Amino acid sequence: MNTKTRQALARIGSRYPSRRSALLPALDLLQREARGHIDHESLVEAARVAGVPLSEAYGVQTYYTMFRRQPVGRYHLQVDTNIPAMLAGADKIVSHLQKRLGIRPGERTEDGLFSLETVEDLAACGTCPVIQVGDRYYENMTPARVDKLLAALRKGKLPDLPAQAHFSSQCNILLARRGVERAFDIKVYRKHGGYGALPLALQKKPEEIVAAVKDANLRGRGGAGFPAGVKWGFLPKDGNKPVYLICNADEGEPGTFKDRQIMEHDPHLLIEGMTIAGYAIGARLGFIYIRGEFAWIADILERAIEQARQEKLLGENILGTSAHFDIVVHRGAGAYVCGEETALIESLEGKRGNPRLKPPFPAAVGLYGCPTIVNNVETLANVPYIVQHGAEAYKRIGTPNNFGPKIFGISGHVRRPGTYEYPLGTPLDELLRAAGGVVGRLKAVIVGGLSVPILTAKEARGLVMDYDSCLKAGTMLGSGGIMVMNQSVRIPRVALRAIEFYAHESCGQCTPCRQGSRVVAELLRRICERRGAAQDIERVLELCATIKGSTLCPTGDAFATPIEAMVKKFRPEFEALVR
Amino acid sequence: MKITIDGRSVDAQPGQTVLDAARAAGIWIPALCYHPKTGKAGRCRACVVEVEGQRGLKESCALPVREGMVVRTDTPRIHSVRRMIVELLLSEGHHNCISCQANGICELQDMAYHLGIDRPGLRIDSHPTPLDDSSPGILRESDKCIHCGRCVAACQNGVVNQVLAFAHRGSHARVVCDDDVPMGQSSCVQCGECVQVCPVGALTLKQPRERKIRPYEARPTKVTCPYCGVGCQIDLYTKDNRYAYAMAHEQDWQEQPNQGMLCVKGRFGLDFVDAPDRLRHPLVRKNGELVEASWDEALDRVAAGFKEIKEKHGPDAIGFLTSAKVTNEENYAFSRFARAVIGTNNIDHCARL
Repeated sequence: MNTKTRQALARIGSRYPSRRSALLPALDLLQREARGHIDHESLVEAARVAGVPLSEAYGVQTYYTMFRRQPVGRYHLQVDTNIPAMLAGADKIVSHLQKRLGIRPGERTEDGLFSLETVEDLAACGTCPVIQVGDRYYENMTPARVDKLLAALRKGKLPDLPAQAHFSSQCNILLARRGVERAFDIKVYRKHGGYGALPLALQKKPEEIVAAVKDANLRGRGGAGFPAGVKWGFLPKDGNKPVYLICNADEGEPGTFKDRQIMEHDPHLLIEGMTIAGYAIGARLGFIYIRGEFAWIADILERAIEQARQEKLLGENILGTSAHFDIVVHRGAGAYVCGEETALIESLEGKRGNPRLKPPFPAAVGLYGCPTIVNNVETLANVPYIVQHGAEAYKRIGTPNNFGPKIFGISGHVRRPGTYEYPLGTPLDELLRAAGGVVGRLKAVIVGGLSVPILTAKEARGLVMDYDSCLKAGTMLGSGGIMVMNQSVRIPRVALRAIEFYAHESCGQCTPCRQGSRVVAELLRRICERRGAAQDIERVLELCATIKGSTLCPTGDAFATPIEAMVKKFRPEFEALVR
Repeated sequence: MKITIDGRSVDAQPGQTVLDAARAAGIWIPALCYHPKTGKAGRCRACVVEVEGQRGLKESCALPVREGMVVRTDTPRIHSVRRMIVELLLSEGHHNCISCQANGICELQDMAYHLGIDRPGLRIDSHPTPLDDSSPGILRESDKCIHCGRCVAACQNGVVNQVLAFAHRGSHARVVCDDDVPMGQSSCVQCGECVQVCPVGALTLKQPRERKIRPYEARPTKVTCPYCGVGCQIDLYTKDNRYAYAMAHEQDWQEQPNQGMLCVKGRFGLDFVDAPDRLRHPLVRKNGELVEASWDEALDRVAAGFKEIKEKHGPDAIGFLTSAKVTNEENYAFSRFARAVIGTNNIDHCARL
């Protein structure tokens, strides 16, 4: 190992209050140094840096999909085949690549130039099919664009193949600067009104900000819809331990690609929101836990954080006040479950992303055993508006108990898949119109990310997109990731693909999730391959019903609920396959 | 305090969990991942109960008792969850009670029996994993592993040898040694604590298997380990007065010097009791040769020797050296013998050398 690597490893170690947190970044660095995989020596080194036994380092390495034990090609092509990608024709991209490269997923070309892998959701649902090459995403892929990509890679060049991302903003809060050039630059952000809220916040008492966020009834945008102000209120009042703020930027729920719009194009909005939130809850250090696949977005965030530090908007004595706050960007390494807040905390501590038993909740015992608040990117991005314009103004957006703007990510069979910022409570029909309308005839729609019950076209008619209305309609708003399916979609295929995803992502800790997801996947595979029997459908329903509420964390419900809904609502399609 | 479990009023202590209180009252709640030594884990989900006034199922192993709480362990919902857990675990591995070394002491077998599951209802194909018999004392059969995590917790946090860990994830997750090397090539020191806590047949001792003794055929005798001065309490298992295997004594483990753990010597080093070349009778030297003698004859010979030396040269001509390997009580008795019977203070101990 060269001196540069050693120094980089030491720098990583010094970033965190606990050395163990350096394990993931150390493994990432060593994998990059070794051109794509981690061997025994690298693992020993990473374990040394993080101060953990070799066995635990191996446990961590093998938990995360982005760490590899075996060498890959110089260009490792990863094709997202999750449901939004499937709806956009990812299968064709995979078979085109197989044909062009002469290898199957999991293999490497003889010259070592390419390796191919099919992967789970890359949060590019509006721009599918997507291929990840190294740290870059190639979106809106067609066979022709694949050929262009391969030709450039053969010449040793990572080409520029711009994606066509659709978006619009009716609220002009979260996506206000989405179309503005170089909005990631602090100058541009300021020019468009950025960092207007922070000075106002610092003039207030922290508890006044908490009260305003509570008053605005800002509901968590990660999926659960739990009021952020109430969550902040759970922190112990007179603790002597440090308080941490974590921004959940894991964005792993299939169908969800909203947070990246903020982080990639308007990072200072998040930084401003986090700084205000940090001040409000008494945190001096915040983390952005960003999914590892978003490497270039993590770079954007780090540059923006550095700009903010230079301008005294972060660090010691922010804007000359007595407030201190700083942010560390922490990259995940490929694990859906790390979107669950206690798993995220474990992962940030350098461990396997296994959810913790609750209680205690993170507000009491979180990161490094200290009080911790975990909020989603979009949630935190709402905070500056509330501070600047007040809770009353905020509550004029949306519907009662469901206030504020929401970014809806629309993917699947619409003409203009993309991200649309509308007030909560906007009718689904209006959102679909904004996305250019359904291609073909609407058959079904999943409105809140993959983990919520599917709706038939009939059920979706007249649906109002807010937390309470979705619940009343028998589904959930979740992350607001809307996946639209037309008459060409076969629901058993969707169900199989969905359960394969959860089985792949289950952390493996608890029995019903680990083995339940595997058995349900096996049963659905039998059905889809016409090897099943009528009682297999019953077994799936029985298992789903029993798994619900029996698992350690919400992941069990996250697959049992939607699978059960797909089978129940589209039962004739399943039955036709077992006849 | 009083709590109600399945309609019965039950005594409970503050700080206890519902599982502790139920077990103390003789109410059966299965728990595959919880072990008093490794603590709550929340992994197996077998111990879930319902609590009046609370939504959903709660892990009784992690649920503190509260005055007046009303708990149910026998609802149809709980039964269906327990049945599913057993069925899923049976479908996950390759379990075969007929040949299993854990037959009769297996907690999964117990649970299936209690629930009346005679054959698994879910069958899925999976490839068998080879046995790991690379280490001298422990056989690992990962196909019988139920992912309870007791061995990992025991190895990482109990004995702190830090060899075992979970690797991979989901249904591919499995327990590995170091970075997935056979146990015999790993940093494992063969303390056997993992076997001690394993609820099934995934980790078993080779000694009883080699002797063809199944655990339920052997009877424990509580003994103190003869190897060092810690005084570890061992359950020495024997069948027909022959050595079978050794386990740490787990009853009141918190009050034992070894807290229910053993080292490699205590775990595997006691098979000498059956060694053919072991001394079984006192030997007395006659005409320059050691000859088998009775205890009476040997002790008389020693007593006569002591008496003679004491009369001729006084008690301080005799010295006593005791051993750290024997118990405190034996050392005490020895010192009383030296001081009160012989009348000398010439007594020392190997730990001072």
